[in-house]
Amino acid sequence: MLVVGLIVYPIYRAVWLSFTDKLVGYPERFVGLRNYIYLANDDAFHAVVRNSLVFTVSSVALKILTGLGMALVLHATWRWRNFFRGLMLLPWISSTVIIALTWRWMFDSFPGRGFFNSVLLDVGLLSRPVAFMATPEGAMMAVVIANWWRGFPFFGVSYLAGMQSIPGELYEAASVDGAGSWRRFWYVTLPGLKHVIIVTTLLTFIFTINDFNIIYVMTRGGPGTATQVFATYSYEVAFNQLRWGRGVTISIFAVPLLVVGIALVSRYLLRERAA
Amino acid sequence: MRDRRLSRRNFLATAVGTSAALALPGVAAPQIKKGASLRLWILKTYVEPTNKAVEAAAQRWAQKHGAQVTVEYFTFEDMQTKYVAAIENKNTPDVGQLETGAPARFTGMGQLLDLTSFARQVEGEIGKAPANVAPVTVIGGKTYAIPWYIMPAFWYVWRDEFEKKKVKLPTTFEEAKAAAAVLNRPNENFYGLGQSWNRTADGYGVMQSLMYSYGVGWANKDGKYQSIKNAKMQTVMKWATDIYKEGIQPADTLSWTGSQNNEAFIAKKIAQTSNGPSITFALENALAKATDAKDKKMREEAVANHVALPHPGGPDGRRCWGLALSFGVFKSAKDPEAAMSLIAHLLSPEETVKVMNESHGQFSPVLDKARAATRDYFGKNENYRNFGRAAEWFVATGWPGPVTAAAAEVQASNVLTDAPAKVIVDKWSVDQAIDWADKKIKETYDTLGT
Repeated sequence: MLVVGLIVYPIYRAVWLSFTDKLVGYPERFVGLRNYIYLANDDAFHAVVRNSLVFTVSSVALKILTGLGMALVLHATWRWRNFFRGLMLLPWISSTVIIALTWRWMFDSFPGRGFFNSVLLDVGLLSRPVAFMATPEGAMMAVVIANWWRGFPFFGVSYLAGMQSIPGELYEAASVDGAGSWRRFWYVTLPGLKHVIIVTTLLTFIFTINDFNIIYVMTRGGPGTATQVFATYSYEVAFNQLRWGRGVTISIFAVPLLVVGIALVSRYLLRERAA
Repeated sequence: MRDRRLSRRNFLATAVGTSAALALPGVAAPQIKKGASLRLWILKTYVEPTNKAVEAAAQRWAQKHGAQVTVEYFTFEDMQTKYVAAIENKNTPDVGQLETGAPARFTGMGQLLDLTSFARQVEGEIGKAPANVAPVTVIGGKTYAIPWYIMPAFWYVWRDEFEKKKVKLPTTFEEAKAAAAVLNRPNENFYGLGQSWNRTADGYGVMQSLMYSYGVGWANKDGKYQSIKNAKMQTVMKWATDIYKEGIQPADTLSWTGSQNNEAFIAKKIAQTSNGPSITFALENALAKATDAKDKKMREEAVANHVALPHPGGPDGRRCWGLALSFGVFKSAKDPEAAMSLIAHLLSPEETVKVMNESHGQFSPVLDKARAATRDYFGKNENYRNFGRAAEWFVATGWPGPVTAAAAEVQASNVLTDAPAKVIVDKWSVDQAIDWADKKIKETYDTLGT
C-alpha cells in the first residue's frame, strides 16, 4: 500500500497540477486543458518536441550500435578482456555533471583550451578554431555525443549478459551448417538478444527523453532554443517563470506516448514468453 | 496579482510594522529578545571575500545581541530554485537577500512583511536610496524590502588595444560596434567584442540596457504592456544581430553560458565585453597571488590596462540594467523585530564599508550615508570611480515602469535574448523576431496583468 501510495500520489499530483494554473506561492485553480492547449499552440514547445525527439532517437541509436560493438568485443576471448570490461564501465559510473563539463571543454573553441580544436589546430588541419557549439546542429551533436558516451556502457553490459546466456550449442550448430561469423551474428546472436535490446532501448528512451543535466550544463538549451528539451524547458517555465502548472504539463506531455510504448512492449514480451 | 489572503496578511504586517516602529527608537538600537535565532539567506558571488565579509557582519550582530544567525547561501544559478522550493515548502528564511524582481514577485505571493515603518526609520538613520533604485522595493505604495547595494555591469575594454589603433573609448553602443570592427583581428584569434545573448544576466541584462538606452520598453510608466513593434526596437535588434553577422565576435559567442566572456576578456581574446566587476576581482586577485617578479609585472600591467567604462548609452541616454539587492523579511519569520535589527546592522555605514572593502568594486551601496562613507574607497582609480557611480545609470526590469511580476517574467522567459537568437540562429528576419517577442510579452501581461 505504501509503495502504491509513493508511486501513485506524485503521479496524481503532477497530473492534477497540469490541469491547474498553479503559480509559485499561489493556490492552484482548475483550468481544465488550458495548459495543454497553450502548449499545443506554442512554437517554443513545438521546437522542444522536435529537439527532444532528435536528441533521444539519435542518442539511443548510437548507444544501440556501440553497445552491440562493445558487447561483441568483450564477449570474445582475449587476454585483457576483464580489464576492458571494467574500463568500459567508467563513463556509466562517472558523475553526469562532470561528464557534461568535460565534453563542453572538449568541444570548446576557446583557443588553447578546447580539446578537438587544439588537436586540429596543432596538426595543421585548421587555421582557426571551429565553434562546434555555436550552431544548432553543432550544439545538438555535442549534447547527443555526451549523452551517448554516458550511456553506451549500459547497453554494452546488458548485451554482454544477454550474449552469455545464449547456449554455445546454437553457435556450434550454425558453424556445422556452414554459417560464417556474420550469419552467426544475424541468425543466432541478434535473435538471442531481441528481448534485451527491446527492454534496454525502451528504458534508455525514457531516461534520455527526460535527460536534464547534460543539456543544462552544456548549452542551457541554446544557442537560442536549439537544444531546449522537455526537462530543460519544464525547469525554465516552472522555476524561472514560476508557472508550475505549465511546467509540469511540459514534463508530462510525453507520458502518454511513453505509456503506450511501455504497454505495447510489455504485451509483446509477455506474448512471446507465453508462446 | 492575486492574493486571496492579502487582507489578513496586510493587517498582520501593518501590526508588526507598527510595533517595530514603536519598539525601535532608532535602527541602531533595536529591542530584541535574548536568544533570538535567525536564518539569513545571502547571495554567494564569485567574489569570495565579499561572501565572507557579509557572513562576518551577520555574526557580529549575533554576538552583540546574544542571538544566533544561520547564514545560508544561494548563487546566481540556483537563486530562483531555492526561493521557489522554500516558498512552496513553507520553509522561507527569516531574512532574505532579494534580487531586483524578487520584492515584486514575492510580495504578490504574500510572502514578505510590509516594512514601510521600518523603511522610514532606516531612511532617517542611514538615508534614502536614489530615486531610480528605491522603487524596486516599493509595491503598491508600500515598502517590502530595504535596498542595500547594486551590482551593475560595466563595459570592460583593454586600453592598449584602443590606443594602438587610436580608437576612442566607446560611450555608446554604436561606438562600441564601430571600435570592434577596427580592433578585430580574427587571423590572430582576437576579436573586437564578446557579447552573448544567452540565458544569464550577461545576456538578458545587456539586452535590457540596449533596449532602454534606445528608449524601448515593453511596459509603460504605469507598468502596463506596450508594444515593442517600432522603429527603435528595429535599431536595437539590428545592433544585437549585426555584431554576429559582421564577424567581430568569436564564432562561439552565442554558446557562452556563464563566465566565458570573463575568460575570453582576461585571456585577451576580445577587446570589449559587458560584465560586473568580477573581472576586476579576477585580475586583482591574480596580482595578489603572483609570486615571481615577471608574473607580478605582467599582472600589474593587466590591472592597469583594463578599463571598466560606464555601460554604453544610446540615442535616448545611458541606462544600465543591474541587480538591485535588498533585504526582505518573510512572513514566516518567528521574530520579525530581530530580523529588522539584523537588517539595520547590515545596512549601517560601518558594516557596509567593511563588506564593500572586500568586494573589489562589486558592491555599490545605495543608501545616502553608506554612499558617503564609501567615497574614499571608490576614489582610488578610474575604474573604481565608475563603480561608485553605478547607481546613476541603474534601471530596473520593466523600465520605464515599476518592476512588476509580469516584467520579471518577461526577463525570466528569455524572450528578450531568444529574439536576436532567432535572427542569428534560425535566420528569421528582424521584424519576424520582434513580432514573435511582442506576442510573447503581451501574452505574459494578459495572464499576469501588472
